[in-house]
Amino acid sequence: MYKYIAKRLLMMIPVLLGITVLVFLMLHLTPGDPARSMLGDTASPEEIAELREELGLNDNLVVQYGRYMKNLIFHGSLGTSYVSGREVMSEILNRFPTTILLALCGIVVTVLIGVPTGIIAAVKQNSWMDKAATFIGLFGVSMPAFWLGLLLAQFFSLKLGWLPATGFYGPKYWILPAITVGLNTSAMVMRMTRSTMLEIIRQDYIRTARAKGVKEKTVVIHHALSNCLIPLITVIGLQIGSQLGGAMVTETIFSIPGLGKYLVDSISSRDYPVIQGGVLFTAIVFSVVNLLVDILYAYADPRIKTQYAKAGGRKRNRPLERKEA
Amino acid sequence: MKKESEILLQIRDLSVEYQTEDGIVKAVNGIDLNVGKGETVGLVGETGAGKTTVALSILRLIPDPPGRIVRGEILWKGKDLLKESIPEMQKIRGDHISMIFQDPMTALNPVHTIGEQIAESVILHQNLHKKEAEEAAKKTLELVGIPKERYFDYPHQFSGGMKQRVVIAIALACNPELLIADEPTTALDVTIQAQILEMMNQLKRDLGMSVIMITHDLGIVAEMCDRVAVVYAGQIVEWGTTRQVFKNTYHPYTLGLFGSLPDMKAADEQDFDERRLKPISGMMPDPTKLPDWCHFAERCPYRTDECEKDPIPLRDFGDGHLVRCRRCPVPGKEE
Repeated sequence: MYKYIAKRLLMMIPVLLGITVLVFLMLHLTPGDPARSMLGDTASPEEIAELREELGLNDNLVVQYGRYMKNLIFHGSLGTSYVSGREVMSEILNRFPTTILLALCGIVVTVLIGVPTGIIAAVKQNSWMDKAATFIGLFGVSMPAFWLGLLLAQFFSLKLGWLPATGFYGPKYWILPAITVGLNTSAMVMRMTRSTMLEIIRQDYIRTARAKGVKEKTVVIHHALSNCLIPLITVIGLQIGSQLGGAMVTETIFSIPGLGKYLVDSISSRDYPVIQGGVLFTAIVFSVVNLLVDILYAYADPRIKTQYAKAGGRKRNRPLERKEA
Repeated sequence: MKKESEILLQIRDLSVEYQTEDGIVKAVNGIDLNVGKGETVGLVGETGAGKTTVALSILRLIPDPPGRIVRGEILWKGKDLLKESIPEMQKIRGDHISMIFQDPMTALNPVHTIGEQIAESVILHQNLHKKEAEEAAKKTLELVGIPKERYFDYPHQFSGGMKQRVVIAIALACNPELLIADEPTTALDVTIQAQILEMMNQLKRDLGMSVIMITHDLGIVAEMCDRVAVVYAGQIVEWGTTRQVFKNTYHPYTLGLFGSLPDMKAADEQDFDERRLKPISGMMPDPTKLPDWCHFAERCPYRTDECEKDPIPLRDFGDGHLVRCRRCPVPGKEE
């Protein structure tokens, strides 16, 4: 198992390297000039050329990439922001907890709404509860976050005055953004739970459990739900990833000082180091979440654990060190 | 032969239907069955005859929808199980009446240890603590020939035969009075089949339980059963002691079943044509459109116009040997 995890962590390195190359290339191939957007329209060509030289933008792309990677690997630095002049790494680390907190709150909303309604819809298939859950699910999926967020803020903050509409300073502030982030995905989780549950509940081993005299509630929770976990973990894991991306919208609506908003701002000002750093950071988080999902699989299903043990075992013959170099 | 003993389970006029897109499937049509204490009753018939539906009805495990018990009584020690509440049924399931399922590959929950799955019914029915239940479950494991060290293993770590042993252990965990074995060896290869049957015979003797053995294998019936019911299209067509049914076979369907078995003794003496297996021609009638008269008439080599008039009752051919057929006993077959 540990070998498997180590192997997966090592496999992240080429992935992340690939991402740096891609982001770097894409940024430098898109039209637009950071020097011009920093100095504004009134700047003279000489001034722009001078700034470009200063930022190292006139160098060969390979040289620029090499410099970036050297700084990243040997100094742990993602460069400094063109706009604020601050270290990108510390700026990201400052904002990241907020974004993760928002994503986790969203996941809590997703799970709390999605899983129970999905189970009820499956167990009471074709009843009014099933139909209601399906309807609400459809409604939730088709409601875009930017619109839902605005509606929620309008109703709960402006009209009722119950909850704050902007900022992110305490649990009270988390509620509306969390619902905005979570409601959309909870509909998906609900559909997933329902369809998986419907399949599982017809399995022979559920009949075995019933034949033992197990109470229906225990059958559903203990015997059926534990077999639904794999697809559920998959969907929820993917949702965490997409919520990191989706955070840009939510953070902008509710003026939350998170990574998403920071990235949106930096894209409009062509702040290359920030964009690169932000994307790289998101990619790392995404990979780690994926790894966590895969590790959780092993705990949800003993058959997968056996596979991992085998996968880790095979690794033994291969020199681990070489990959790190 | 076993004498009439105390009746444990009595099924009267049981009828079960399934609602499908193609219409109402009449899976079981008025089945009567008695199971005495310590007795093994065989239910024989081809796939789709309604054997499993009878078994699931006893435990009230017919998936509803689409299944529905339309008529009948299932008397367990005099109490009608069909009128019991669900909590009452949950007390009976696994404790008094247990069931072994056909396919051991899918009958075990893949994410729980086998020990946990056996101990669960002990905890439920005998009010034991986890530790005591574990001990009890380990004993049951050893009873079915699995070392108790494997208590913490998962189903995927067992072979098919071993899984079936686990399934049997789950069923036996609370020493049930009646065990329903639904084709317990169909999914297993022949050597494992023999082992499992031998083990079941042994356990039956040791624990003194009654067994309903559902199978399509007449060899298993001969080996295990005291009495046998031959089921065809949801009806019992022949019922008697195993000796009666095997020696004085009356019903054309039962005759057909025996005819489709290879006979090793005859093989040396008879010429090739007679040695050939004789399958029953035709197919089972469409269960959504069962005729009012004899269900077997369409395939019966002895059919007369009389057969396609009225429903045929079970008639006693002596000593409780019941046959659902209008025609007289085959000449020469009668002793």
